[in-house]
Amino acid sequence: MPSPASPPPSQLTASIELAISTGLRRRAAPRGWGRRLYLAANIAVLVFLLAPIAIVIVFALNPTPFIQFPPVGLSLRWFEKFFASRDFMQALVFSLEVAAMTTLAATVLGASAALAISRGNLPGSRLIVATMLSPLMLPAILTGLALFQSYVLLDVGRPLWGLVAGHTLVTIPYVVRTTLAVLHNFDVRLEEAAQNLGASPTRTFFEVTLPLVKPGVLAGAIFAFIVSFDQFPVSLFLVAPGRETLPITLFNYLKFDLDGTIGAASIVSILLAFLVVIALDRTVGLRSYVKL
Amino acid sequence: MPATGAPRVNSLALLILPSALLFALFFFLPIGLMAVMSVLTGNPVVMPHVSFTAKHYARIGNDSYYLEVIWTTLRIGLWTTIVALVIGYPLAHWMARIRSRSGHALLLMAVLAPMLTGIVVRTFAWMTLLSDKGVINQVLAALGLISTPLQLMYNESGIIIGLVHIYVPFMVLTLTGVIGRIDERLEQAAENLGASPWRAFLEVTLPLSLPGILAGSLLVFALAISAYVTPILLGGFQIMTLPILIYQQISANFNVGFAAALGMVLLAISLMLVIAYNHVLGLFSGQRELQ
Repeated sequence: MPSPASPPPSQLTASIELAISTGLRRRAAPRGWGRRLYLAANIAVLVFLLAPIAIVIVFALNPTPFIQFPPVGLSLRWFEKFFASRDFMQALVFSLEVAAMTTLAATVLGASAALAISRGNLPGSRLIVATMLSPLMLPAILTGLALFQSYVLLDVGRPLWGLVAGHTLVTIPYVVRTTLAVLHNFDVRLEEAAQNLGASPTRTFFEVTLPLVKPGVLAGAIFAFIVSFDQFPVSLFLVAPGRETLPITLFNYLKFDLDGTIGAASIVSILLAFLVVIALDRTVGLRSYVKL
Repeated sequence: MPATGAPRVNSLALLILPSALLFALFFFLPIGLMAVMSVLTGNPVVMPHVSFTAKHYARIGNDSYYLEVIWTTLRIGLWTTIVALVIGYPLAHWMARIRSRSGHALLLMAVLAPMLTGIVVRTFAWMTLLSDKGVINQVLAALGLISTPLQLMYNESGIIIGLVHIYVPFMVLTLTGVIGRIDERLEQAAENLGASPWRAFLEVTLPLSLPGILAGSLLVFALAISAYVTPILLGGFQIMTLPILIYQQISANFNVGFAAALGMVLLAISLMLVIAYNHVLGLFSGQRELQ
């Protein structure tokens, strides 16, 4: 999930779920030239959506330093250049560190907040939810600007915790949303049954509530990781010179060079995002919960 | 668990505190400080005597350059929204109505795949496609259709193409949800009563999907006017939008107060869009309850 500026909307996960569920409906298709036009238009849109991604892959494997089409061969030189570049490697490691810290903070804070909203009987919970989701609705570039100005006013420089706090702010809404969705759908009678059978509220929480909300929390954590790893506008204001995240380094590189290194970097970052998802799946058994 | 009929705040409510603290310190306080900075003559940390002023806002209102920047930003946002709606609607309709389950999964993957690729990377992809020596110009030249390269980027249309690509998935996913909720039997009834599929669409499906059109459009517009990477790279540093201007005031001019005032303008526009978006969603959930 992009980010950024990807402030992808609070509606997104709900839309994806709906999009999946509506796929189950069936109906007879109308025929004729109208139908053909409809399919042709849609296929053109799909080409528009996917062609740039195909292009990135082609240029990552293209041997020439300038853009050439059709490609003249196959080479891994851009991957070599990417992995040999100290700037890119430092940025990649730094991005992974920031994304890991952000994911941890956003998951713990967001899941706690969702539990408090759903089970704490707080007054004004609708307003609290709207507040927790608001970093998605406001431009992330404003979050970056406001934090940058505060750090300048407080004279704290551009510390790592400041960057992680900014990333946590724009990723927390995903965790709150996915955790709330699970808490909302879950049968409160399960908790009541545990207590009727003699479990203490604490034991009920750890042995019934927590295992049941795990899929929502995990889905939120994955969103948080991907959004933080791709985050641009907040990082733009908050990274310290010489300690930049990968998207910022790629952006600065793009201003002057337009060779296949960017393509190689993108493929590496997409693969890394998938690796994180697979690793989470292996360790905590995601597939049985998240049907996406 | 307390009985559902008698809501009483319990100890789990305390779990809200860490997030509340984060939001207070790193969200509301900074935005409040930005609002204050926008009406101060200077930075109170480095300057001993600062006073309140409206000069930053006066500068925006009195200089046609800044008004032009705001207008350019809104114009790019508007075109991005229109194009995203026109190309996103048929795809959303197809996704909502496709019969095969695997076909639906493939369409969903095609819409989600670009979202998993970062903004910088997608903008790079469009630069390789649209530049003077890019894929499109090379192919057209090789086919003998053009002798001089077409100017496809470093202008507003290049920016709009890039932004549409980045934000059309949001439009499609919002619309798919709404179109999927429209009872297909309504369309079938219209067709059984003699309407052509096109007329059934225009008079039944399209009006019923209006909340989705509004919600998706507001969302794409809000995202497009706050974009930074795509306008700066595909505009080739030639076209100035509000987010580019804000960052320039910080990075090149160190004019924190003026940047804050510009930020407040963007904040005001965004808040209006958020309120409109929530209002539309409210209408639309009301409609859902009626069904």
